[in-house]
Amino acid sequence: MGSYVRVTVAGEAYALPVEHVLEVGELGQLRAVPGARAELLGIKSVRGQIVPVVDLGRLLGVHRAAPPGRLLVAEALGFRVGFAIDEVTGIGDLGEPEEPDEDTESGLLAGATLSDGVLVGVLDVPRMFESLDGTRR
Amino acid sequence: MSEAAAEAELADLFRDEAMQRLDQMDTELLAIESGDGNAESVDSLFRHAHTIKGAASMLGFADIRALAHAAEDILAQVRETGVFPPDLAAPLLRATSALRAMVTGSAEPTGDLLSDLAACRAALADDQADAAAAAGPEGSGLWQANQPESASPPQTSPPPAPLVPAAPVTQAPAPAAEGSATDATTGAEHTLRVPAAKLDHLLDTAAEIMEYRSRLTYALGQQEQLSEDVSDVLGAGGRLLGELSDTALGMRMLPISAITGPLPRAVRDLARAAGKEVEFVVTGADTELDRVILESLSELLNHLLRNAIVHGIETAAERERAAKPRRGRVELRAVPRGSMVEIVVADDGRGVSPETIEAAGREGSLASLLAMPGYSTAKEVTELAGRGVGLDAVKAFVNSLGGNLSIRSQPGQGMEVVLLLPLGLALSEVLLFERGGDVYGMPLSAVEEVVMLTKTLTLQGRPAMAVRGQSLPVTDIAVTLGMGAPPLGDRPPAIVVAAGDRRAVTTCDSLLGAEEVVVKPLGPVLADLADYVGATLLGDGRIALLVASATLTRKATLAAARPEPETAPDPAAAPKILVVEDSFSVRELQRSILETAGYPVVTAQDGRDALAVLDRDGQIALVVTDLEMPELNGIELTRAIRASAARSSLPVVIVTSRGSDGDRRRGIEAGADAYMSKSGFDQQTLLAIVARLVGR
Repeated sequence: MGSYVRVTVAGEAYALPVEHVLEVGELGQLRAVPGARAELLGIKSVRGQIVPVVDLGRLLGVHRAAPPGRLLVAEALGFRVGFAIDEVTGIGDLGEPEEPDEDTESGLLAGATLSDGVLVGVLDVPRMFESLDGTRR
Repeated sequence: MSEAAAEAELADLFRDEAMQRLDQMDTELLAIESGDGNAESVDSLFRHAHTIKGAASMLGFADIRALAHAAEDILAQVRETGVFPPDLAAPLLRATSALRAMVTGSAEPTGDLLSDLAACRAALADDQADAAAAAGPEGSGLWQANQPESASPPQTSPPPAPLVPAAPVTQAPAPAAEGSATDATTGAEHTLRVPAAKLDHLLDTAAEIMEYRSRLTYALGQQEQLSEDVSDVLGAGGRLLGELSDTALGMRMLPISAITGPLPRAVRDLARAAGKEVEFVVTGADTELDRVILESLSELLNHLLRNAIVHGIETAAERERAAKPRRGRVELRAVPRGSMVEIVVADDGRGVSPETIEAAGREGSLASLLAMPGYSTAKEVTELAGRGVGLDAVKAFVNSLGGNLSIRSQPGQGMEVVLLLPLGLALSEVLLFERGGDVYGMPLSAVEEVVMLTKTLTLQGRPAMAVRGQSLPVTDIAVTLGMGAPPLGDRPPAIVVAAGDRRAVTTCDSLLGAEEVVVKPLGPVLADLADYVGATLLGDGRIALLVASATLTRKATLAAARPEPETAPDPAAAPKILVVEDSFSVRELQRSILETAGYPVVTAQDGRDALAVLDRDGQIALVVTDLEMPELNGIELTRAIRASAARSSLPVVIVTSRGSDGDRRRGIEAGADAYMSKSGFDQQTLLAIVARLVGR
């Protein structure tokens, strides 16, 4: 069981395998991209590279009350995506995730697990990246 | 220029020249070591050592001078005897390594090396004495010495290891002058060595003149009538300026050979250390790439060659067992592919295992498997541990340039790593402009001229303007891209864009000028958005989106063609309605009401989405929108519609749960034709409003 980065998005708890996470920082100002899909908040320069920033809440279909303030940069399938999140709550092990429920709407979860009494959705990062990859559409 | 600055510049020139000469010495020494040397090799080795010594001595680099001198003495003797003992190559290669380290400032102690070289020289002198005794006075050998001064007798003591650097000489002539004069007389083409900073300055200046030209054109465009003389002169100047700019940009292009110099040496050393026999071949070395790309490429090629030699090529014994030639082969190949260049590092080694091929199948491709960060530690590929080293860096580099990395390999049959890189796309001249508070750019090559939009005509019901006798469609960039932006000012700047055989006019808020920028790709996430070719970071930290010129002309042409649909509209057909609403249930409710009443309906989830739909679908006759939506709300959407020349008269109905008078006023002020609240929502009212607005 590997390590996970735990984040909160619109009050819900999610976790990403740590090997996909490159860095976490302030969301800051984003450059809007007219014509892009709704979940794309804009682009940002992260260490000289242009990184698309995706509203993780919107991608997962959770309604957010307040605008996200943090940026988590992840990598999979050879490219990078920034995710707007509320905050990172910790890094560590999780229990073995259970199989996703039938009614998992977005299909982007590898499973869910109870950790310290909190239900944590474990994100299927390659699947998320696949759904975001414009070359596959 | 201050004395210190002049000195620093000289030191830079010296470093560049010495490195180049050391590369050439390595090439010659490797040739001699493998038995391919000749009299010219020794002459050229001697000349390089001699020149490095002279320049180092003038600049006061005593340690470099001493070592170059020791090498020169040996080479003088070889020239004298006409015999180059093969075991002499190794100490001389050590000397070039040490010189390279000194020149780059990572000096190592050279005491041992100097005494080794002195010993080599003494041994040579003994051989010479023997040979002279045997051959008699005429036996000066195959390689005739032509400089009596350099054929110094062996009794000269080797130079002592320097302890104190000599005082710097400030009045020294540029050391490069001597070298380039020599090269110029022997080479077919006269070349000039120029510091990179000066070249960059030339490019910046050319870009700046471009900017002044755009401003001049803009200023002149405000005058009603340009005299023929003025536009002739302006045209001629513009063409010359383009030529200047192309030439300057061309100077950034360098052949791959500019970075392959040290590679044969690196391959030899790596192969020796790994106990492999390797033949290294470079093909297509004259293929040109942008200097900036080349600089980063150099380090990555080292990674790839290391992988090929250490992990790809088998030992001679293994190769014999596999019925392959003892000597492995590593090839670096550069092949131009249109606007891209393919750089291939190929080896005929063991390739990847069948398990790796299988794993690659699951991952999608070999490249995505092997370039995964930390890949080499994966359990299933322990036999290839290390093969992935650096490939993630290679992939990141290639991707950052908008290129592509692919890897071909079969078990037992070697591996090919293919980097597809843009020729010079990374640097591009763009015209920067602002719209809605954000900066955009378009390729300067697509900009014909910049004028001020004074008089707008309409053609087929769409805005158009006459440019040099041709009527061109005029489109607000905000409309083209589907962004929410306040209406344009009275006389907006208008950019005449040409792509292929199409021309169109794009309007914006203001022009920022032309600039040479580094184009960064937007990556796979935005790959399906063909409107942009990339983005660039501006000096003030802002990001400019670079719009594809084809988008500007194509969309404008489509917009212009819209009012005259190819299929004549069926007069009985009901007008199409766009419903914009972020709530799924409200959206579907409105859709069913309108569809039941006979209207075709398309939907959008928010204002931004709606603008994109409007862009795609020219048939939409009315918009029904929610007020509160993410991204672009109903007020902003209404403003964007009103701001667009093409759709300024498109009816908009705002439907919202916010029923206050203030909201209603804001909606009407933004240009909405009707405002109705959800609380008093009734199907008949909606249908009545819609019918009134579409005239049914």
